[in-house]
Amino acid sequence: MTPLLEVAGLSQRFGGLQALTDFSFQLPERELAGLIGPNGAGKTTVFNIVSGFYKPTAGGIVFDGRRINGLKPHQITALGMARTFQNIRLWNDLTVLDNLRLAHYHRLGYGFWSAVLRAPRYRRAERDIETHARDVLAMMKLTDCANELPKNLPYGLQRRVELARALASKPRLLLLDEPAAGLNSADVDELIRLIAWIHGEFKLTIWMIEHQMKVVMALCRHLTVVDFGRVIAAGAPEEIRNHPQVIKAYLGDEAV
Amino acid sequence: MRRYTLNILFCAAAVALVWLAQAEMLDGYVLNILMLIGINCIFAVSLNLVNGYMGEFSCGHGGFMCVGAYAGALISVAFFADSALFGEALFAPWLAPWLFPVILLGGMAAAALAGLIVALPSFRTRDDYLAIITIAANYIIISIIENIDAIGGPRGFSGMKRTVNAMADVIELPWMLMWTLAGVFVCVLVIRRLMSSTYGKGVSAVCQNEVAAEMMGVNTNRVKIMAFMASSGLAGLAGVLYAHIYGYVNAQSFGLLKSTEGLVMVYLGGMGSISGVLMAAVAFTLLIEVLRFVIPWLNETLHAVNLLPAGYQLDQIWTWVFIPLMLILLMQFRPEGFLGNRELSDVFPRLRRWITLK
Repeated sequence: MTPLLEVAGLSQRFGGLQALTDFSFQLPERELAGLIGPNGAGKTTVFNIVSGFYKPTAGGIVFDGRRINGLKPHQITALGMARTFQNIRLWNDLTVLDNLRLAHYHRLGYGFWSAVLRAPRYRRAERDIETHARDVLAMMKLTDCANELPKNLPYGLQRRVELARALASKPRLLLLDEPAAGLNSADVDELIRLIAWIHGEFKLTIWMIEHQMKVVMALCRHLTVVDFGRVIAAGAPEEIRNHPQVIKAYLGDEAV
Repeated sequence: MRRYTLNILFCAAAVALVWLAQAEMLDGYVLNILMLIGINCIFAVSLNLVNGYMGEFSCGHGGFMCVGAYAGALISVAFFADSALFGEALFAPWLAPWLFPVILLGGMAAAALAGLIVALPSFRTRDDYLAIITIAANYIIISIIENIDAIGGPRGFSGMKRTVNAMADVIELPWMLMWTLAGVFVCVLVIRRLMSSTYGKGVSAVCQNEVAAEMMGVNTNRVKIMAFMASSGLAGLAGVLYAHIYGYVNAQSFGLLKSTEGLVMVYLGGMGSISGVLMAAVAFTLLIEVLRFVIPWLNETLHAVNLLPAGYQLDQIWTWVFIPLMLILLMQFRPEGFLGNRELSDVFPRLRRWITLK
């Protein structure tokens, strides 16, 4: 079976900084995989390249059998990829419901004139969008804050809204960039359950960056470890946990 | 029903005004000010789309009004006036009321196209740099028009009164007042509908977090083109109306001072608030007119109490001292403007029982 996402020989240079070197990875459909590594190892760079925000210096990305190098981020979203951000990026002065509505932007099905003339096509599209957005809110237990502004919500809920927004775009591949960052231990347990549930319920493929071993070990079936922009290990979580190079990267030379 | 309250109120007020004008209970001066208020409302509400909702700082809005004014004026003259430029009138005078919407649309289309001058650089630049580009665009538009001798160059362009008179010959009505009121209605309707649709909220998404917008499937470049073109197109509507109300246009009247007036109205009213900006446009226009009377009165009073030297007269130029002064005070004490980012119905929730902005 061809993988849903396949990156080959990805390299990224920012001026004199080699942020990523020859990164290759295959993500089969329905997989839940993790990308880990110390701070500054190049994890978010990988996500930024895959989602089209950076143009890689070298290498190719194939998503769903289609080469997506050079596509704009919004075009890649339209192909069925959504992501969350390490530092939450919500539209803070639009309500939670509007945040989810906007996630349908890549398949609105109407344009300026339909909106201004309130054409039947506009009414139909808006009704469908609203229904779907409310469904996702209900599934994510966010119905109560549909009309709140994200900036007024507690941090944990903001993370959940961002996840809901990504789901509202009906993705096949979900990229999660440190979903547990800044959450307390109870919230982390809740998040683990939530991601596991989403993965099954929405039949998604998930690729996540995470620092907390607890989350990674509980969820991921495959891990890739990067350090200084290079893959140093890949495999099942149990193998990775005992991999000497991984221990060295995380804990330093003396620990080996 | 709530959806229509505002529309009905506006139509009732419009009918009342037109009736008063028709019954000659409004003199020409009052009528002119009413139309000027309308033009300023369109001008400010359209600027608000870019400066308020999209959060860009466009300082060249006058330039787009200028394009609209000239394009509308040229079409108008070609249609209904015998001129050296276009030769004989294309249409019989009795068609004027029917073809005036074509003139309005023509002016708007030309202005919307001019909006591309600013939309394209906005893909790669924001904030201060884009502000400078908009100022440059304002200057470019004005100097281009001033240098085309065929349309009058620095002398300006006239002949549109023909069209206005032709409309009055068909039926004696206060035509320009009616078109202006219709223009305000359409402008507010377009912005309201746009900004309550998911499509239009893409503009707010670009304003609040452009990276998230692009990553979540919003084609930010297209949103910017749309916002700039809609905004300048509506400014063009204000331009065509202006050209026909005064019967004369001159590129110099649409310079940076005009653009600044637009900014003052938007910031006075509150960015991203249609009701706030409308209130500001009315207040600002009235203020300038009131100062016309207040300044001579102040002059006399100050002379009477010997506060001014005998040889010095306080004249109308002081308008442009008082208004910036008020702006400075406003920015000091209420930087968010009248309503700041909120609509009247957010400030007075009770109003929601009666009206809705959706």
